[in-house]
Amino acid sequence: MVLLTMIARVADGLPLAASMQEDEQSGRDLQQYQSQAKQLFRKLNEQSPTRCTLEAGAMTFHYIIEQGVCYLVLCEAAFPKKLAFAYLEDLHSEFDEQHGKKVPTVSRPYSFIEFDTFIQKTKKLYIDSRARRNLGSINTELQDVQRIMVANIEEVLQRGEALSGSAEIDTLNQKKYSSESPTFNKQHFLSYLG
Amino acid sequence: MLKHSLTHLCKYLSFPGPAQSQMQVPSGYGLHHQNYIASSGHYSQGPGKMTSLPLDSQCDDYYSGLYAVPTQNVMPPSTANQQAGAQQIYGRGPPAPHLVGSTPGSFQGAASSASHLHTSASQPYSSFVNHYSSPATYSANSSIASQGFPSTCGHYATSAVSNAAYPSVSYPSLPAGDPYGQMFTSPNAPTVRPVKDHPFSGQNTAIGHPLPLPPPPSQQHHQQQSLSGYNTSSWSPSGLPPTNDILIINLLILICMLGCPLQCQSSFSLLMQCQNFISRLSYWFDSCVCAFHFTGMQYGEYVNNQASSAPTPLSSASDDEEEEEEDEEAGLSQVSEESRFLVINTIFLLLLDVLSSSASSPAPDPAPEPDPAPVPAPATPQPSKMAKPFGYGYPALQPGYQNATTPLHSGVQPSGSVYSGFQQCPQYPGVSQLSSSLGGLSLQSSPQPESLRPVNLTQERNILPTAPVWAPVPNLNLDLKKLNCSPDSFRCTLTNIPQTQALLNKAKLPLGLLLHPFRDLTQLPVITSNTIVRCRSCRTYINPFVSFIDQRRWKCNLCYRVNDVPEEFMYNPLTRSYGEPHKRPEVQNSTVEFIASSDYMLRPPQPAVYLFVLDVSHNAVEAGYLTILCQSLLENLDKLPGDSRTRIGFVTFDSTIHFYNLQEGLSQPQMLIVSDIDDVFLPTPDSLLVNLYESKELIRDLLNALPNMFTNTRETHSALGPALQAAFKLMSPTGGRVSVFQTQLPSLGAGLLQSREDPNQRSSTKVVQHLGPATDFYKKLALDCSGQQTAVDLFLLSSQYSDLASLACMSKYSAGCIYYYPSFHCIHNPSQAEKLQKDLKRYLTRKIGFEAVMRIRCTKGLSMHTFHGNFFVRSTDLLSLANINPDAGFAVQLSIEESLTDTSLVCFQTALLYTSSKGERRIRVHTLCLPVVSSLADVYAGVDVQAAICLLANMAVDRSVSSSLSDARDALVNAVVDSLSAYGSTISNFQHSALIAPNSLKLFPLYVLALLKQKAFRTGTSTRLDDRVYAMCQIKSQPLVHLMKMIHPNLYRIDRLTDEGAIHVNDRVVPQPPLQKLSAEKLTREGAFLMDCGSVFYIWIGKGCENNFIEDVLGCPNFASIPQKMTHLPELDTLSSERTRSFITWLRDSRPLSPVLHVVKDESPAKTEFFQHLIEDRTEAAFSYYEFLLHIQQQICK
Repeated sequence: MVLLTMIARVADGLPLAASMQEDEQSGRDLQQYQSQAKQLFRKLNEQSPTRCTLEAGAMTFHYIIEQGVCYLVLCEAAFPKKLAFAYLEDLHSEFDEQHGKKVPTVSRPYSFIEFDTFIQKTKKLYIDSRARRNLGSINTELQDVQRIMVANIEEVLQRGEALSGSAEIDTLNQKKYSSESPTFNKQHFLSYLG
Repeated sequence: MLKHSLTHLCKYLSFPGPAQSQMQVPSGYGLHHQNYIASSGHYSQGPGKMTSLPLDSQCDDYYSGLYAVPTQNVMPPSTANQQAGAQQIYGRGPPAPHLVGSTPGSFQGAASSASHLHTSASQPYSSFVNHYSSPATYSANSSIASQGFPSTCGHYATSAVSNAAYPSVSYPSLPAGDPYGQMFTSPNAPTVRPVKDHPFSGQNTAIGHPLPLPPPPSQQHHQQQSLSGYNTSSWSPSGLPPTNDILIINLLILICMLGCPLQCQSSFSLLMQCQNFISRLSYWFDSCVCAFHFTGMQYGEYVNNQASSAPTPLSSASDDEEEEEEDEEAGLSQVSEESRFLVINTIFLLLLDVLSSSASSPAPDPAPEPDPAPVPAPATPQPSKMAKPFGYGYPALQPGYQNATTPLHSGVQPSGSVYSGFQQCPQYPGVSQLSSSLGGLSLQSSPQPESLRPVNLTQERNILPTAPVWAPVPNLNLDLKKLNCSPDSFRCTLTNIPQTQALLNKAKLPLGLLLHPFRDLTQLPVITSNTIVRCRSCRTYINPFVSFIDQRRWKCNLCYRVNDVPEEFMYNPLTRSYGEPHKRPEVQNSTVEFIASSDYMLRPPQPAVYLFVLDVSHNAVEAGYLTILCQSLLENLDKLPGDSRTRIGFVTFDSTIHFYNLQEGLSQPQMLIVSDIDDVFLPTPDSLLVNLYESKELIRDLLNALPNMFTNTRETHSALGPALQAAFKLMSPTGGRVSVFQTQLPSLGAGLLQSREDPNQRSSTKVVQHLGPATDFYKKLALDCSGQQTAVDLFLLSSQYSDLASLACMSKYSAGCIYYYPSFHCIHNPSQAEKLQKDLKRYLTRKIGFEAVMRIRCTKGLSMHTFHGNFFVRSTDLLSLANINPDAGFAVQLSIEESLTDTSLVCFQTALLYTSSKGERRIRVHTLCLPVVSSLADVYAGVDVQAAICLLANMAVDRSVSSSLSDARDALVNAVVDSLSAYGSTISNFQHSALIAPNSLKLFPLYVLALLKQKAFRTGTSTRLDDRVYAMCQIKSQPLVHLMKMIHPNLYRIDRLTDEGAIHVNDRVVPQPPLQKLSAEKLTREGAFLMDCGSVFYIWIGKGCENNFIEDVLGCPNFASIPQKMTHLPELDTLSSERTRSFITWLRDSRPLSPVLHVVKDESPAKTEFFQHLIEDRTEAAFSYYEFLLHIQQQICK
């Protein structure tokens, strides 16, 4: 099940398009996931892995980054990874063709919200198991999804602060360790001998 | 790049930031005095640093600094008109600060000089003045004023300066004692009042006075200096009769000159006398045409200047301040007595010049004037001030002058002036102060004195003015007035806010706001910027009434917190200049729209979603509305607001519910019937609401088929409740708009209703029952819908009682709207059919906002307690509006929780956050600024009687439902009795034999009587319950302009239309016949009259109406041949036909829903409809106007 699709500009995390979640009837609260997605967009940068799967409890985020645009989808954890990425690739190729050139110039959030129409249609294709068979991209195993990095969303979102925090500790520790290292080496050497 | 912190993420659809309860101000700012003292420190540093820097160089510095152009931009309005307007507002390059500051002076001068004319009338009002004249206030004010904080100071200074400025202005002619002086002009010379010419004076006044001559900066300094000094002297003579004027003037001069060297004195006073004489000659008694106004302005300025050059011993605090400044300036240039004399002389000459030239002539070249000024005279403090501006400022002035002479730019200047102070702060604090403060005084183009003129109601036969009543203009300085929110969007019942609740209670007047927040606007600045600047503590949006403490800080005008100016805000995208935050469009316009960032969205902006829920029972098919609706939809399908995501769906119902599968790819629409109305489910959730563009053909097919699909139905039941439940399910994933068409009482399933109306009780004078809902089903459903961002609009088309009181709840609480077409039938009632058709056109194509919330904030000390309109109150000040439409009006009741003694201005701000039909999240912000007054008389002077009556009507509806109709009626009568008796107690020579009202309230009894005779509240006249309830619904949700016509229709005589006073609209000449009072006494058999009741027009043709008119306008040979039901005027090629039609079209264009026209022949049965609106006449069940007045008088005397 594809629950939420969002497209954002990596440079500043500006949301460009999204698909309205249609799941409120089942009582699932997507609000939390949506804010996680927004936070994630703000964390992403050029150094981020371009393909990634992020676990979020019973749900999973998958995203790809292409030409400075991040395509993100929230699925149930059981939803095939292969499908999710194929879906994102589809979105990418269409979005890039329609709006790719305008991406760097826009400043208003959800400037391409009308892309929603395409997202909805594509989503239907991927959710419908009968229609799915017709999707060429799935059958031709274009990419090896198994190699895609897997992480936990909470960790990723906290990493920014954690990293900057640990940076200081690292330098401190380095000194400490460097001063201690001769002793350690010696001990180690001794124990090795012994 | 901006990395937003998580804390900025807002709650769902609510404005990010703390609730209003957190508006507490840091203690330091609570007291203004403290505040000012603190800031004065800042100020005093200013000059030290900056004096020697010309402003321009300052700017240059900023420019030269590294500066990244922000992505913000302001969208220019698109039409040519808008362009012009925008230019006026923003078009100015970096202005010369002095110049800008100076403009208000000129206006002020105008005002005050205008006031000279009528000073004779000042005696009765002298009591009102005392608020301003208390010496304590003065000194405080003046000290504040000199510190140079532009707007807040401006506020404070306003009163102070006004005091000062008036007297100084009054030299030439006389003691224009009171701040309302200008008002006097209106009776004699209406043309002088810009308001009269331009109803929306806020924007137009500038244009009205194309060439205000800005005084040289020096004058401002003078004025400032004079402030404190003049306070005392000025007021003493105010009460004197005008004949003494010369004497008084001399006196004044003498007083003022106390501090001056003797020789100067004599020459000065001599001159003044001369001037005075000339001025009087030229325009004291004269006819007061516009020309006078202009000259008056200029004249006033100069006079101000002169006056201020004389310091008074009394000006203690400000003098000290000035001295400091002077010391700093001393070396630069000083003016000796001689030079002053010269100046005066020059001015005098100039003045003559001005007088001789016409008003439209360009302002005299200012150059010669300043020349004599910079003569060294170290001893006198003033001269130095005078000199200062010349030294630096004069060159800078030039562009300003050019501006002033160009009509296009003339409007610009004043608007900038309030803030100009900001820039100048460091350099010439005095100037800035002055510019903003000057305004305070005055320039009321609004009739303050006039509004207080006591009117003996029982003796005033023609109480109704012949011209439409406009909203009173708040008594603010010209700058603030120009910046203030249009009364069409935002009005307050009292344009002078009482200082305390006790004072408000004394006045016995309702205090509240009337809002029309989403009104169609022709010009609206739209701002895209990364950061929307808001107060950090109360979340107020930055607005024209905040004050800039320095370049980097602004002070909130609602909670007084000092906030930082973000870097991005320093750049003005319109002028492409840096370092002028006070010129940003947010600060130049009281109505702006922001493009919101994603912080203001909790979900992606929703698409436009429209669902139509249609009654197709036998009754509905018989009435035949489906044809009109489907036709209208087919015509307007492409005009439905929305983007490519727009979705649409249809549900029909009788005893079962029918869904229509319109999924793209089907060959024809599929109808799906759900007969289980106890547990409604959606047969195919995905394909019932479909993309409008992808399924357009199917939609067209359905709309073509629908009218004939049920022609032979025998189903009489109506399962409205279950159909609504289904609609809710369909809409809840996205939100949007549900339009319900219902033709009878719902009789099946949830929400079924029984008839509650007893037709025999329709004309009862006793209890009217069943004004409230019979079940809470519709309210609950509406609240559920509101929670899912869905609004339900109700179209009730019924010939029988349908319990609108219950059904209306579905719209009331979901922010929907209600339309009612009694006895609708598409063939038998063509006028209703036509009305539905026209209403639908507007309804389907008008602007719409989705998932909206509206928050109203007000200055600390005021609080809102009751809201009126269609919405759900989510928290104390947050209204949840699933939809917002441009025809929705709101009202709010206010109370004064803490006394407003430490502020002279209060502000109200409405922020409407909504998603446009194009998927943009936008925030429309309106800010209204009003003065605070401490005397009862001032409160009465500022009554906006129309706003008051509309608020009372809203309150009366609530009272009718919660208590009883008779209670509500009593409350309405009591409102008049209480306020008039409270007013009576304020006038000393109160005669019990007369019913006296201030001019501002003279229409109050008439309007209340009209309300009592309105369908909503009338008794004794046969009124169907649904009609009454609908009238109540309209009162609650109509904006003021439309509501007023419902309450008090406009009557015009139209058989003798002339082009006299006609206006030109789009190349059409629109006659402007005078308003007639609503009495049969005005109807002559020989005439034809048009009554504009808002949603309906009546043309009454008298029996003896001239055949010429009947032939030329109605196209009938004579009276007898006029058909009984005539709803159109033929397009005849005659002058009178053209005039009549053009007038009616003009009236029609002014409202969103096209009114129906009925031609009523005298003696036709339909005339009762017409005559029931003649509210001044006696009916079997109700007083005539005169009787009503006597009744009130009796009640007062009790």
